[in-house]
Amino acid sequence: MRKTTRIAAALAAVALAAACGTTENKGGSSGSGSDGVTDTSIKVGGVLVKTSATGYSTGGAELGAKARFERANAEGGVNGRKIDFVGAEDDNMDPAKGTTVATKLVQKDKVFALVPVSSPQFGGAAFLEQQNVPWFGWATGTQWCGTKTGFGYNGCLAPKPGAGTQTWWGNQVAAQIGGADGKSAFIQGTDSSASKYGVGTIGQSFSAAGFKLAGTSAAIPATAPPQDWLPYVNKIMKANDGKAPDVVVSIMAGAKLNAGLFGALRKAGYKGAISDATSYDPSVLADPAIKAGLEGVLTAPQFEPFESDAKEVVQMKADIQKVDPSAKLTQHVAIGYWTADIFLKVAEKAGKDLTRTSFLTAASTFTYENPGFGKIDYPKDKTEPNGCGALVQLKDGQFVVAQHLKCTDNVALKQ
Amino acid sequence: MTELAGYVLSGLVTGAIFALLGSGLTLSYAATGVFNFAHGAIGFVAALLYFELTSGAGWAAWPAALVTVGVFAPLLGYALHRLMFRGLATAGETPQIVATIGLTIALPALGLWLVELFDLPAVTEGASARGLGPQPAGTWEPLAGVRIDSDQLVVFGFAVAAAAGLWVVMRHTPLGLRMRACVDSRSLATWRGIDADAASAQAWMLSSVLASLAGVLAVPALGLDQTAFTVLLFAAAAASVFGRLRSIPVTFAAGLALGVVQNLVAGYADFAEEVTGLRTAVPAILLLAGLVFLNRSRSRLAGSIAEDAPPPDHLADLPRWRRILPWTVSGAAGLVWVLFFADDYWAGLVASGLVLSLIFCSFVVMTGIGGMVNLAQASFAALAALTAGLVIGEGLPFPLAVVAGMLAAVAAGLVVALPALRLGGKVLALATLALGLLADQVLFQIDAFSNGTLGWKFPAIAIGSTDTNDPRVRIILLLDLIAIVALLIRNLERSPSGRAVLAVRSAPTAAQVIGVSAVRTKLTLFAVASAIAGLGGVLYATFAGQIFASDLRVNLGFVWLAVIVLQGVRRVGGAVVAGLIMGLSHEILSHVTSSAHVEAVLFGLGGMILAKHPDGVLAQFAEQRHRRRHRKEPPAGEAGDLPVAAEESVLALRNVTAGYGDATVLRGVNLSVRSGEIVALLGANGAGKSTACAVSVGAVSPLSGRVVLDGDDITATPSHRRSREAIFLAPEGRGIFPGLTVEENLTTWLPGAADRAAVYERFEHLAARRDVAAGSLSGGEQQILALAPALIRPPRVLIADEPSLGLAPMVVQQIFELFGELRSRGVALLIVEEKAKEVLEYADTVAYMGQGRITWTGPRSEVDADQLTAAYLGIGGTA
Repeated sequence: MRKTTRIAAALAAVALAAACGTTENKGGSSGSGSDGVTDTSIKVGGVLVKTSATGYSTGGAELGAKARFERANAEGGVNGRKIDFVGAEDDNMDPAKGTTVATKLVQKDKVFALVPVSSPQFGGAAFLEQQNVPWFGWATGTQWCGTKTGFGYNGCLAPKPGAGTQTWWGNQVAAQIGGADGKSAFIQGTDSSASKYGVGTIGQSFSAAGFKLAGTSAAIPATAPPQDWLPYVNKIMKANDGKAPDVVVSIMAGAKLNAGLFGALRKAGYKGAISDATSYDPSVLADPAIKAGLEGVLTAPQFEPFESDAKEVVQMKADIQKVDPSAKLTQHVAIGYWTADIFLKVAEKAGKDLTRTSFLTAASTFTYENPGFGKIDYPKDKTEPNGCGALVQLKDGQFVVAQHLKCTDNVALKQ
Repeated sequence: MTELAGYVLSGLVTGAIFALLGSGLTLSYAATGVFNFAHGAIGFVAALLYFELTSGAGWAAWPAALVTVGVFAPLLGYALHRLMFRGLATAGETPQIVATIGLTIALPALGLWLVELFDLPAVTEGASARGLGPQPAGTWEPLAGVRIDSDQLVVFGFAVAAAAGLWVVMRHTPLGLRMRACVDSRSLATWRGIDADAASAQAWMLSSVLASLAGVLAVPALGLDQTAFTVLLFAAAAASVFGRLRSIPVTFAAGLALGVVQNLVAGYADFAEEVTGLRTAVPAILLLAGLVFLNRSRSRLAGSIAEDAPPPDHLADLPRWRRILPWTVSGAAGLVWVLFFADDYWAGLVASGLVLSLIFCSFVVMTGIGGMVNLAQASFAALAALTAGLVIGEGLPFPLAVVAGMLAAVAAGLVVALPALRLGGKVLALATLALGLLADQVLFQIDAFSNGTLGWKFPAIAIGSTDTNDPRVRIILLLDLIAIVALLIRNLERSPSGRAVLAVRSAPTAAQVIGVSAVRTKLTLFAVASAIAGLGGVLYATFAGQIFASDLRVNLGFVWLAVIVLQGVRRVGGAVVAGLIMGLSHEILSHVTSSAHVEAVLFGLGGMILAKHPDGVLAQFAEQRHRRRHRKEPPAGEAGDLPVAAEESVLALRNVTAGYGDATVLRGVNLSVRSGEIVALLGANGAGKSTACAVSVGAVSPLSGRVVLDGDDITATPSHRRSREAIFLAPEGRGIFPGLTVEENLTTWLPGAADRAAVYERFEHLAARRDVAAGSLSGGEQQILALAPALIRPPRVLIADEPSLGLAPMVVQQIFELFGELRSRGVALLIVEEKAKEVLEYADTVAYMGQGRITWTGPRSEVDADQLTAAYLGIGGTA
């Protein structure tokens, strides 16, 4: 058939064009290395999910970073250079948009580094790596891990099998409920491969802390909260040999999902402890239904909570107040703040002669401790989490510190 | 057992929302012929308003719901009707699909943008509004261990009440009858005095109310999550498909069942947990199954968008160099700029736009040439990219990866083509959407395939001493590839297979008759389009350096489709422009606004433009140019060649010139009919007789000349008003609504029960079949049914177009006796016939028509055979 030959010919032409060979994506042409740095300033900007189709937003990190940078500037800057923070771009949680805005920041706005970056589906990683541009943020995805230029403020939260995985969450919950001995935990995720991976790592965190794993489930539809929780709740209520487990851990993101599940669990008569990772957010208190659903829940921020009286946290709140007196203190504000903090420390270490190369050299072996977020140890924490976290409980509609930030040793992630 | 009862009971509540949304979808489709992909989006904006009123402004739940559902929803429905759906009703199926897809993107973005603009309480993750039930919710235990709460009861109660109300409205009110009559035959409804436009406005308002009610009921559980509302729409679409897009009760039942099935799968199908995403995909799987198994008997043939001829080529009279001149000049200028003057950033933007242009070329093949809408194009690109990534991950060479990626896309294309063999238009679009969702939710979740959350890394392509890390290299490479693809597309269009494609597209049945294989044609189209999308996908990943399973989601294909179709999907030029727009829009808009919603609003609003200009912006430019150039030419009409008819005429056409598009059919027609007179309009096929009828009832607007009724100029009066007042048209074929019952058919002209009783008294065989669908009557009965109402409530004028066509002589006799009776009651009759014999027995006046003119008119007594023959053959014979 003539058509087939023609298509085959076209295929061959394409293959031929591509056959010229391939090359590694390596250091780009714009790697002069001193973009965005002048004698008096360092220009940085971030990429966040400000708006998205699901409503998920990490936008608060912009405020946190700004607050930290303003204090640094008020104190004279880093090695005599003030931080020129151009704000954060919105990637709408769309990987392609993430690439676009990262490109814009580097090539058009000529920033020195991307701070803060916080987007679960950030798409700019390959570009930044290729352009040798440092980027700092909340490393929730594998894009960060093992790169030369990407830095998570609390390490890489998506370690590969064999690398270290955190045990703090299990340990903190155990501490909260008086030990893990003879107690069982159930891990609930959503029906996606990313969530299945999360169920595995967090399950390991709880077994490492001494819990018996009553069961795990990644069955809740990934795209929309179920309107009916009954089938999922029934499963949990019978998970521990026909009885309810002692702890239910949700690794689902989003107050709607978590409040829905927890409310339904309580309706079904569940009396044990409940923990999740994302409900530490004052905006959930605005919605009476969600607030009721989250009452008593142990939520697990990866920094020392705002309610703490640690002096670093008091300082952070004062810095934020100065920038925006009416600011809502969300997890993302703190994440932005500590991300900026670490960036400043690395920049300080890089010294007066600041280029991307000198900066990345300084960052490649770097340790720093701060009670606000724990500790960071690069390069180790480029492939595993820093292993630190706290617990906050919603009690009578108020968040209170249940467990202060603690760092526990990582264990190797099983296949 | 208790557990099962619990799952069924609470599943019914979830199902009630699917059912409510599905009913609205079925209603609007059945009443207007437009399948509204934006139905879920309407639910979302209603939920958004409800949220702003309750959580924002602090209103109580009930008044807020009342304002949202009772005031806002009908207004929104009406506004959408005016701005968009009205134009879409007569547009082809592709613009219909794309315009409502565009609305899906634009409407929520518009709502959120307004929230931002007026600084209203922002929609944050998990933002939600309280339900209509009492707070806190009461709980009952109707069976031991089965709990149900007041919120669930409220949702279920509202849904059932709304559905019951809807059924009553559709079946037992004049409003419902008008809507159903318009669905059955829009033009006939107009000729029976029904304002089709108003009826579809009412249908949109009603459907918008249903969507809004579903939105308000769903938001407490779902939250203000656009994705969740889109998912809700898939479930509703599945319900609607099970109701075959026609039956509201079946749709409703299917919606309820869907909720139960989902619960049972969640509760019992533990084996499904092994396959990530399988449970999430339940609605998509059911949607696909419903489409493939239930919709194959539909009249659509051959998977093309019905008979849809390509638009006129307005540049056809230009020489070739002139046609390509603007493209060459602007292309060359752009190329010089981007290669030698633009910095890396701008060059990178252009390169990223051109990758999309390459992918968009696949839309040119699929939609532009093939007339089929594939909503899964982004999934094809993703599939190819992930396959290529897998091959590279195995350490195999890059060219092999490219070929493997393209082959994977082609294989997927052929799988999608299978439903396309029997489905067409919106059904195919829905099927591809379901397949795309399945790919996202199941296939791409397989870790071995997409490398889990790690994704695949891609190397740059080295060409000589440089490589594709340089955006300029990417641009040149892409332009070469687009040129190759453009050549391929041109060859495809001009080859025998290309002509076969056009044949299948324009007239599937005819194509089959002359031996064109629709199957092979469509498989070819799908294969070529998928290969192009696959190549684009692999390059997309290569230039990005990586590909993740979540990079090219099926929703992204929505935006792509809206943008490319807006530029014009029939030419590669449209694809290039669309890709560049996608690549550059963010940067350009960032100078105007900081809101992320504006871009979505603009992309989506293209749908509204599409409703007016279905062939896209580029074709629109060409048409405008064509019109400008041809404006100076005088209209084809000429001065009347016959004296104006007598004053006492009831209906008169005065010097009417009319036609369709550029083709003039009537060239100065003068014709009049007096009260109590039968005028026979004779003439050969194509003489313009039916057009004269159409002008009389207002279905065709004359270019010049006047239509006069009882001395009043009614040239500008809309069709349904002419009918209401005076003119009854029995159109060519049968003037009945085949889908309505005999009783309902009569009701359209005879709203009074006494009038209908009079019909039954006279025609007993109709009385016996009053509840039978009119389409199942015999030809003669149908013609009697079409004319009987006129006998009971005589119009001023009755126009019958070929009333004897295809009827037995006895029935013809009966029909003409009816005409005689109407004449004696003072009705003016205009009877159009090709066969002169019978009508000449009854006619008072005879008019011959030939080549768009009345060539002779006079009393029957003066008719002689020679004149008749001459008039018939169109050779001389003027009076």
